[in-house]
Amino acid sequence: MKLFTSSCMFDYPWEQVSAANWNKYPNEVSTHVKAVDVLRRELRHGGQVLMTERLITVQQSVPRWIMALVGGSNLSYVREVSTVDLRDRSLKMRSCNLTYVNIMKVYETVNYTPHPEAPQGKTLFEQEAKITAYGAFTRLCNSMEDFSFKRFCDNAQKGKRGFDSVLEVFDQEMDTLGLSQLVSRVNETVEDVRSSAENWFQEIERKCTILSDYHDFFSEAFRRE
Amino acid sequence: MGSAMSASFAPECTPLKKRYDSCFNEWYSEQFLKGRSVENPCSKEWYAYSACVDANLVKEGIKPALDDARREAPFEKGGELQEREQGKEQEKK
Repeated sequence: MKLFTSSCMFDYPWEQVSAANWNKYPNEVSTHVKAVDVLRRELRHGGQVLMTERLITVQQSVPRWIMALVGGSNLSYVREVSTVDLRDRSLKMRSCNLTYVNIMKVYETVNYTPHPEAPQGKTLFEQEAKITAYGAFTRLCNSMEDFSFKRFCDNAQKGKRGFDSVLEVFDQEMDTLGLSQLVSRVNETVEDVRSSAENWFQEIERKCTILSDYHDFFSEAFRRE
Repeated sequence: MGSAMSASFAPECTPLKKRYDSCFNEWYSEQFLKGRSVENPCSKEWYAYSACVDANLVKEGIKPALDDARREAPFEKGGELQEREQGKEQEKK
């Protein structure tokens, strides 16, 4: 299920972008990234290819009502494998969430390559994310009246518009979810969710943000077993 | 760029990570990108940091999920999701 692609350009040579990539965090924008660890690193093909496995630790600023629903920690982990290849000046990064994998997985692929029109001075960034939802999540959605899994997926694929409509359904269906003790609190803060989502989409449009935000938001939002 | 280096998920590993990172960053720009290196760099710093990380992956309960992810998308394949899992994905479409 292809959900999301984006691309943008950096006004720096590929070499510089690839070096900066190792020092991307911490930064002022992605304050949700709390730690980055190297798990494995190998040099191959006579020093031409560098492969790295990393663990990214993410802490979401989740709305209070979601924390009330899910409880526990708001830390999540992402594994990333990257390949730097000097032979074609490419940096490819593949990542997937390690947390909430019984609900859904977000596979993200990022490519940094020299820009075709200015290969010495500019770098092209391309990003693709695929979301796969699993059994627990499907069952959870099926158990909610008028809230089908398919509808969620269809809507989600339409990006921002889809996200808004899911939130609307979420809003309307809240009363029927059997969470009566939470309904009043939820009603107070649905607007809070909507503005969080809005902010998030603005950020992604601006900065090609990491997709783990998206995953975490949904998995946090719908995890209430 | 990026002078401040990130922390480790395990606070006790952060000093070891910073030592390794600064060694690696120097090597990456000055050796690797210039095609001058044939060996994995900073082995002393790496072993100290790596041992700390491995112990904490177990302690924090991250190891099982990591092992699953490694099976699905092996390091050797550049972290690419393997056929069996892609087949599973197709079914969901």
